[in-house]
Amino acid sequence: MGLRRSQAVTLISGEAVRFLVTLIGRSSIALPAQWVRGIVMPTAVGRDGLVTWANVSYEHSDLAGRLKLASHGRSAETRVVLYGHDRQGRSFAVDKVWGLVDVERSLIHPLPAHFRGAERDRLLGFFANHDSVALIANPFWVLDLPNRKQALDVFALRLSEHRPEETDVRLQLPVAMLDAVSIGQVG
Amino acid sequence: MLRGQLRRQGEVTTRATGEGRPQHMVVFSVAGKRLAARTEEIAGVMPWPGAIEVPSETPFVTSLVRQEKGCLPVFDLAAKFERTMREGEFLCLVVKHVDGPLAICIDAEVPSLQMVPRSSMQHQIVDDPDCAGLCVVGGEQLPIINLATLGVSSSRHAG
Repeated sequence: MGLRRSQAVTLISGEAVRFLVTLIGRSSIALPAQWVRGIVMPTAVGRDGLVTWANVSYEHSDLAGRLKLASHGRSAETRVVLYGHDRQGRSFAVDKVWGLVDVERSLIHPLPAHFRGAERDRLLGFFANHDSVALIANPFWVLDLPNRKQALDVFALRLSEHRPEETDVRLQLPVAMLDAVSIGQVG
Repeated sequence: MLRGQLRRQGEVTTRATGEGRPQHMVVFSVAGKRLAARTEEIAGVMPWPGAIEVPSETPFVTSLVRQEKGCLPVFDLAAKFERTMREGEFLCLVVKHVDGPLAICIDAEVPSLQMVPRSSMQHQIVDDPDCAGLCVVGGEQLPIINLATLGVSSSRHAG
């Protein structure tokens, strides 16, 4: 997906949402990054099904199964994402962590109206990168929180400037930028 | 009032001549099954870009395809007819659906435009809301697919 490279385009005029992009099975699954509290190795999951990290316990859940996706199974690239908001926390395995990406709101598309089933609760929409499409998991559904309309508004960042090769201090991951200009240049 | 009368007369004349006019239909095939659809329900044809799986519970709507900077949902017409697309090249039929543009994977054989006499069309004789009826093209009887409302009724039934 090419998220690990830095982008040449640095100026952002509007709002963006920062996502952690992961791979589950053959699908790129993006999660709003503000609720990502950590990324740990699968060995961190205890026999009791809990992951305890920074004195907080996260109940382990099967996100791939809940999304009806077939995971590749455990490999050297498998990671466990610690996801939480307030006192609600969950941990879940992903087949791979691609990285962080800031996506302009104009590039985030809702799930088309043709999708009429329960997937509308699970997925908020998608964004297209140069060579792939990431599906956005609904963070409220992931954490079993009451659903809300315009869920991504909670995560919108207003950025006036994006530094090249920026690193997210909290997650210690480089942040790529996906904006209309970079899509147009490389696509 | 005169204008209204003229308009009404015009409508009657159009309807009357419309019966005699042939209907423009597009004939295409999906996994070897030949189908017909009204031309006004088709937005275009492009090479099949490959589908991106979406974990979906909507019958036959389980993927997206890239189109320019966005994506289109895909209706799996082959699965609806319990067929499997053969290996090889495909085309993407872009449909003017009531919910927005929709993509359908069709066989690589380029769709053909046909003029079908309305007298050869039989409407609503099949028990499938996605099928408008039957028409005869070149001596072959083909189902007419309601592309604009494809999946709408079956989704409601399933929901």
